[in-house]
Amino acid sequence: MSTIASRIPEILKHAIAQNEKYNIYTSIRSQDQITIPKISNSSQLLSNKIAAIKDNIATIEEPTTCSSKMLAKYTSPYEATVMTLLNKAGAITIGKTNLDEFGMGGGTTNSYFGSTINPTIKNAVEPYTAGGSSGGSAAAIAADTADFALGTDTGGSVRVPGAYTGVFGFKPSYGRISRWGVVAYAQSLDTVGILAKDVDLVRNVYDVLNQYDSKDPTSLSQEIRNKIEDSTHLRDRSIDKLRIGLINQLGANDLSPDVKEIWQKMLSTVQDHHHLIPVSIPILKYALPAYYTLAPAEAASNLSRFDGIRYGYRSDDDKNNYAKTRTEGFGKEVKTRITLGNFNLNADSFKNSFLKAQNVRLAMKSQFNSIFALPNSLTNSSAPKNGVDILIAPVSMSTPPTLKKYMSESSIEAYANDMFVTPASLCGLPAISVPWESTSGNPVGIQIIGQYGDDKKVLEVAKHLKELNKI
Amino acid sequence: MVRCHRLFSTSSPLLKKKQELLIPGYKLKCGLEIHSQLDTKFKLFSLSKTSFQSTPNSKISYFDASLPGTQPLLNPEALLFALKAAKALNSTINTFSTFDRKHYFYGDQPLGYQITQHYQPYAQGGFLKLLPHDNESITGEKIINIEQIQIEQDTGKSIYTELENEAFSKIDLNRTNIPLIEMVTKPDFETPEEIRCFIKKYQNLVRHLGICTGDLETGAMRVDVNISVNNGHRVELKNLSTTSSVINAIKYEYKRQIKLIESGETSKVIQETRGWDGSKTVRLRTKEGALDYRYMPDPELPPIILENGINESLKLPKLPDELMIELKNAPYNLSNKDASILVNDLKLLNYYFQLFEETVIKNKVESKLPGNWVIHELLGGFTKLQIEFNPNLINVLKLSELLISINNEQITKSSAKLLLQHLMNNPGDLKRPILELIDDYDLGKESNVDQDLIGEIINQVLEEQSEIVELIKSGKRLNSVKFLVGQCMRLSQGKIKPNIFEDELKLKLGI
Repeated sequence: MSTIASRIPEILKHAIAQNEKYNIYTSIRSQDQITIPKISNSSQLLSNKIAAIKDNIATIEEPTTCSSKMLAKYTSPYEATVMTLLNKAGAITIGKTNLDEFGMGGGTTNSYFGSTINPTIKNAVEPYTAGGSSGGSAAAIAADTADFALGTDTGGSVRVPGAYTGVFGFKPSYGRISRWGVVAYAQSLDTVGILAKDVDLVRNVYDVLNQYDSKDPTSLSQEIRNKIEDSTHLRDRSIDKLRIGLINQLGANDLSPDVKEIWQKMLSTVQDHHHLIPVSIPILKYALPAYYTLAPAEAASNLSRFDGIRYGYRSDDDKNNYAKTRTEGFGKEVKTRITLGNFNLNADSFKNSFLKAQNVRLAMKSQFNSIFALPNSLTNSSAPKNGVDILIAPVSMSTPPTLKKYMSESSIEAYANDMFVTPASLCGLPAISVPWESTSGNPVGIQIIGQYGDDKKVLEVAKHLKELNKI
Repeated sequence: MVRCHRLFSTSSPLLKKKQELLIPGYKLKCGLEIHSQLDTKFKLFSLSKTSFQSTPNSKISYFDASLPGTQPLLNPEALLFALKAAKALNSTINTFSTFDRKHYFYGDQPLGYQITQHYQPYAQGGFLKLLPHDNESITGEKIINIEQIQIEQDTGKSIYTELENEAFSKIDLNRTNIPLIEMVTKPDFETPEEIRCFIKKYQNLVRHLGICTGDLETGAMRVDVNISVNNGHRVELKNLSTTSSVINAIKYEYKRQIKLIESGETSKVIQETRGWDGSKTVRLRTKEGALDYRYMPDPELPPIILENGINESLKLPKLPDELMIELKNAPYNLSNKDASILVNDLKLLNYYFQLFEETVIKNKVESKLPGNWVIHELLGGFTKLQIEFNPNLINVLKLSELLISINNEQITKSSAKLLLQHLMNNPGDLKRPILELIDDYDLGKESNVDQDLIGEIINQVLEEQSEIVELIKSGKRLNSVKFLVGQCMRLSQGKIKPNIFEDELKLKLGI
């Protein structure tokens, strides 16, 4: 039996080769940098599992660049809590993956290190996007360079790349996984996410990372974790007959023909086994404007710290202020969002944009609470009598576009593609993209969304759905 | 030393100054914003130690340096200290308050924003009363209302310097993220004296609460002033590092604005921020140049949620106003001035209370003694030595031993003064019992008064001071008999009670 240690050279060789083809990694560890957990630990949940980590999660072995010129040479002196937990559980990290700069984008094209290419489109004449912003993590899985990858999902950044590369992309409930060491884009929305081809492995990684962390002020308290556990135990409905909600506002009308075909086929399969129940969340029409008001505002604030004084890029010409450093250090999309965010925060527009968006967010949470059978343990809302167990929705309008097409789109077009994924982000709900194959062979993702804290149910249904897909 | 000077400054000349400054027809209106560093063990949102005068950049955590991926965690001690201030200032404590980010770029502001409480501060309203016992210029009582108090982070420090003819700034992040409370008053001040009195009272209050050193000189407390004349535009005064620069800046600014008004240039009084350069106020920025701070609710710090009964469950020590009343009444019966000296120096106050306990309560010493000896003899001794009061130099038990000896008539007051001075200069003798020292240095009061000796001394004094004796006899300087008593005491080395000399002298002089 070959030990994991003896397989490492081969694993690295494959990763390097795939990286050359698809530009997946911002850095790949050398043999010396890889620590193999001791054999006595092999009974652990993730022993011998190869991990790829999105490069906005702090590690000490290599730089944490966020795919930005600003941090291209920055190495963190401390590691993220998720890294500590992965190491303890026996996982072997081989490198850091490419992303849209600071997580801002949907195609992994806004990177200082160039675009990541989708490895799943076989015989492609021209390159396709892997989705973003966790495109590197998704491609790392799709190209079989790692068993699982960590991404971050602020407004779909794990689910969209998962859908585009045909792998599971799971965004847990907000606050479940520690953000300590995760570079903030918009921290009221940021969640660490998990990508893998095997949904059981997604579940194992989730079980390892699903821990309260006192270093993270938004980490879900042990008390509420226990409360959620209790409330889910009271539920007795079996997986064989679920009440699945179909959101009117996230309908098939906006889908491209190939996605629409899959979507309808999938629905008829599901209907053979479960109750499909149409539900309405009217406020979802404001999800995109609310998201693109709040996320850039938080981003503008969070990115204020990059002034070139203490670490990171500093312009030689920057003698009197930080403008030059920031102009040169940030890419175009980041600067666009900083400008937009600051506009939303200025004294004249704060009330009319930022506060309204926050109110939309609150109303949206309560509308979601009114359709789930499980009460929300954060707000103590009462659940409706005939509520649904989970919701089902598309992940994106189309199968992955070519890089050329994607990059020629306007910002508005690119933002509009996020309409299916931003609602779960705004409300902190657990959601997963389940891979489904289209007739053309191009990947499509089906999204499962659960009540706040109901992560296990979401994973359970994802596994079940994948099995239905095989029938 | 600085503190001692302030303690001894008398308040009576202030009354005159007040009348001199204000010009009829020009109404002065001021408000204060006071930032106080909370004297907590750790910083506001990290576990780095707070420090004063440490090696630059030696007390910083990853969060203080704003490294990517770090997060703030509220230090509950800072919240407790802030709550004490709110209760002491009679403010309404909000059971729900939140943190906001105030954005601006500055080299010593590593996050690019300051975490503060803009939209929902933890405390609102409240007041501090200025009373006659604080300052003679206050007649009746003057209420200064408080707008709000908020918790916020301090910034780092920039030191501007030059290297090879190029200006650059050095940045020290030790101060970054130290907890502050910002207290904002309503514009209720009408004279500079009220402001002086308020600052002193506020400093003393935070010291009694044990939440801030209250020192302006070290920057632990910083005062900004809003000033307007005849309800004109409001000018903000900043960079005022001592109480006297606060007062001088207000006086200057008051006159500057009046000059503009008198010369018909009222429009030149504009809403602006001015600094103090030591002799005049200078423009820092105008309203047009003001920054838009782009306040945003902090997206990761949870709100502070307090129980309804929080105000009742906060325990405060006895506060200065209550202590003043206590000290001026039985059993202490101190004068306003003496009480005020004690209340304005916590160390001295505690020393006094302990001494009172040891002497008056436990040993039935006359109740005036502890006050007189602490404030006049002991504190005077420290002033002479040019050092700050230190309760350990002459500890409470040693001074009480001495006062008990006086009370038991084992030593006269004047000899006791000499002995105290000796002990302060020769701490080696502190180990020895007072009674032993009295014997050794021959300071004992003559218990059997030697009438011959008294006569001898009196005759010598009358001879030496013949001019004064004539004046007394002619009835012109009757009070000078005290002077003669003093001379007799000097010759007797204080061993004979002064009233014996006085009786004898009056007999001889026939008055």
